[in-house]
Amino acid sequence: MSLILFTATGCARCQIAKKFMREKDLGFAEHDAVGEGKELFGKFYRAHRAAIVRGAEGIEFPVLADGPEVRQGVAAVIAWLQAGARLDGFIGRSDVSRGWVGGLHVSKGDPAAMEDLVGVLGFLKRNGLKLQLDTDGRNAAVLEHLLAQGLGDRVVMELKGPRALYAAMTGGSIEPEEVHRSMVRVAGFPEHRFETTVAPVARTAEDSEGIRYLTPDEVAETALWLKTATGSHRQPYVLHVFDPQADPDDRFRSVEMLTPAVLLRHRSAARRHQVLTEIE
Amino acid sequence: MTYPSIFPTGATLYDPSRCWNGYTVFQAKEVGALLIDMNGGEVQLWKELHGMPNRLLPGGHLIGSTGERSTAFGSQDGIDLVQVDWDGNVVWRFNQYEFIEDPGEAPQWMARQHHDYQREGNPVGYYAPGLEPLADRGNTMILAHKNVRNPAICDKPLLDDSIIEVNWEGEVIWEWVCSDHFDELGLREDARNLLFRNPNWLKSGGGVGDWMHINSMSLLGPNRWFDAGDNRFHPDNIIWCARESNITAIVDKQTGRIVWRLGPNYDETPELRRLGWIIGQHHAHMIPRGLPGEGHILVFDNGGWAGYGSPNPGSPTGFRNALRDYSRVLEIDPVSLQVVWQYTPVEAGLAFPVDANRFYSPFISSAQRLPNGNTLITEGSGGRIIEVTAGHETVWEYISPYWGRMLKINMIYRAYRVPYEWVPQIEKPAEQAIERIDVTRFRLPGASPRGARRTVDVAGVLPYRPDAALCVRTDVAESP
Repeated sequence: MSLILFTATGCARCQIAKKFMREKDLGFAEHDAVGEGKELFGKFYRAHRAAIVRGAEGIEFPVLADGPEVRQGVAAVIAWLQAGARLDGFIGRSDVSRGWVGGLHVSKGDPAAMEDLVGVLGFLKRNGLKLQLDTDGRNAAVLEHLLAQGLGDRVVMELKGPRALYAAMTGGSIEPEEVHRSMVRVAGFPEHRFETTVAPVARTAEDSEGIRYLTPDEVAETALWLKTATGSHRQPYVLHVFDPQADPDDRFRSVEMLTPAVLLRHRSAARRHQVLTEIE
Repeated sequence: MTYPSIFPTGATLYDPSRCWNGYTVFQAKEVGALLIDMNGGEVQLWKELHGMPNRLLPGGHLIGSTGERSTAFGSQDGIDLVQVDWDGNVVWRFNQYEFIEDPGEAPQWMARQHHDYQREGNPVGYYAPGLEPLADRGNTMILAHKNVRNPAICDKPLLDDSIIEVNWEGEVIWEWVCSDHFDELGLREDARNLLFRNPNWLKSGGGVGDWMHINSMSLLGPNRWFDAGDNRFHPDNIIWCARESNITAIVDKQTGRIVWRLGPNYDETPELRRLGWIIGQHHAHMIPRGLPGEGHILVFDNGGWAGYGSPNPGSPTGFRNALRDYSRVLEIDPVSLQVVWQYTPVEAGLAFPVDANRFYSPFISSAQRLPNGNTLITEGSGGRIIEVTAGHETVWEYISPYWGRMLKINMIYRAYRVPYEWVPQIEKPAEQAIERIDVTRFRLPGASPRGARRTVDVAGVLPYRPDAALCVRTDVAESP
């Protein structure tokens, strides 16, 4: 294994990644991407733009190169070092900062990799990072296990839509009861919130004519489901605008993007059952 | 200044031949929504129906509110906006803007409406030919409150102003939030600095900064500027004014951006300097099509105290740093910023500046253009409504007889004149002229008549001079 770790001067998360590598006795070459390794990293970045995200605050470090494999961010780097690609579904790029780690997708990984997941999250947590878990209801047992282990500080649940559309919107089969079970667990966690992205839905299989956005009534049904499952009409519930360009499903790329103003009707409908609904 | 403690209330002056006769509706302090005729006869009271403001719709319907949120937690938050019929039955209600759970109060939905709203069909909420507000359907634009945090403005919680459009079914279908447009307001660094430290702090609900205090909101409606290709004046665009910042602005309904603005600074161009500093203004709106002056901005420039800026002797911190002790009603060309018509202490016949504050309402108040060119002015703090001609003659005057029991003031927030035809339930009332009383001769029972019982001549006295000096100058050149 030939590991190269790009770090940045003063980067605390880079220190955590290096600590993990030392504990695992993993040899690596380190280059400070804003110091002596600036030129080298520039060259590396130009060759791997697709794998390295430049966010609003610049490039997040550390960045790990393991042969052709590139991982960015402390969680993704440690996950790769711990279990290779087996945790790729669970751990992605974090979009939160200032002491928090996000991109921890409870619903998108293979439950068989649970032991490795617990190991990675436990290491992050022991080193002072706060963990934001996200779920869409799948893998309810994984969520329950992680929270029982204290491996979560905030939980965000994406409610894809109403019961009848849920399986179609998650791209496979899912039992509404499992979503219900996740809702109950999330609502019982001290710091949590529920979200729905008002997204297009393929109403009929393989028929682009059948693609239509969630309607206000369908969002209201979703809010009602949330109320029924959690017994509360006061859940923190947020609606998001769908970004067609960021969606991996090619069928939705040509869908016209809604404006936040359009979502006002969805908010009004949702507030019939969840009074704190807002648009972000 | 000296104000009498005894004076008549009700209608005090009325020239039927020169008035635009109709009913007048207003919120009588702590009494309800009151409809009066030209002689001050109280045609109907919607008892304890609140209203900020109350407006009459064709068919004898009225818009108001069933109450306000406790001032311990909110400031001027109307619980709802309701439309009631002639018999007081609620036929439409909106309250679902925010679910409020105030300590010790029953949780409830609230509209948080304040200061203004507009029903589809009419852009400004008062009579204009062919622009009747809908009474049985249509959307309603509502000025509301929304609590926000915006560290670019202030590190404290803010009581923000929002404008929402709701449909007949009560769904919010459009929303504009003022703080989202902070950088479009033209506030200079001295104002921003002060605003950060003192956003007009209120104690309600644990403390909140009422930083803008938008107090009117209306649509532009069809107008000649837009017809000539100036998209800033699209009929759907919204004009508002904010008393704390001295800003009047037009918002593009499509983009939400501010496309026209007057204030907060009135010293940046020759046109603005000629206009003078508008302070704490109310009811800025575009005179609707079909009325004399259509397309001009009509505003009640209160004076008083408002604005954020640098300290001066009247404002040691720079908070409310613009001061003036009289009011002005201005009709302004929105493109040239020329004053087309005005009613100030001078036009009111008051010696300027020594007697100027006899036309003065430092808060509330309004102006409505009438079809015959007259203007109905609510000089709110003193509970006075007057109708003045284009030549500035007062042809109708009414003083509210309703002083609050809790707040001992006979204030009128905003009055509206409506045509008789909008109240089909009753016969048109008689119109009886009220002649102007010669106050130099008017005496109450027990008071002596004017005139000395004995007059003596004093040798050597000179006649009074027309240019006699006072302790302060009276200079027409200084007048507004």
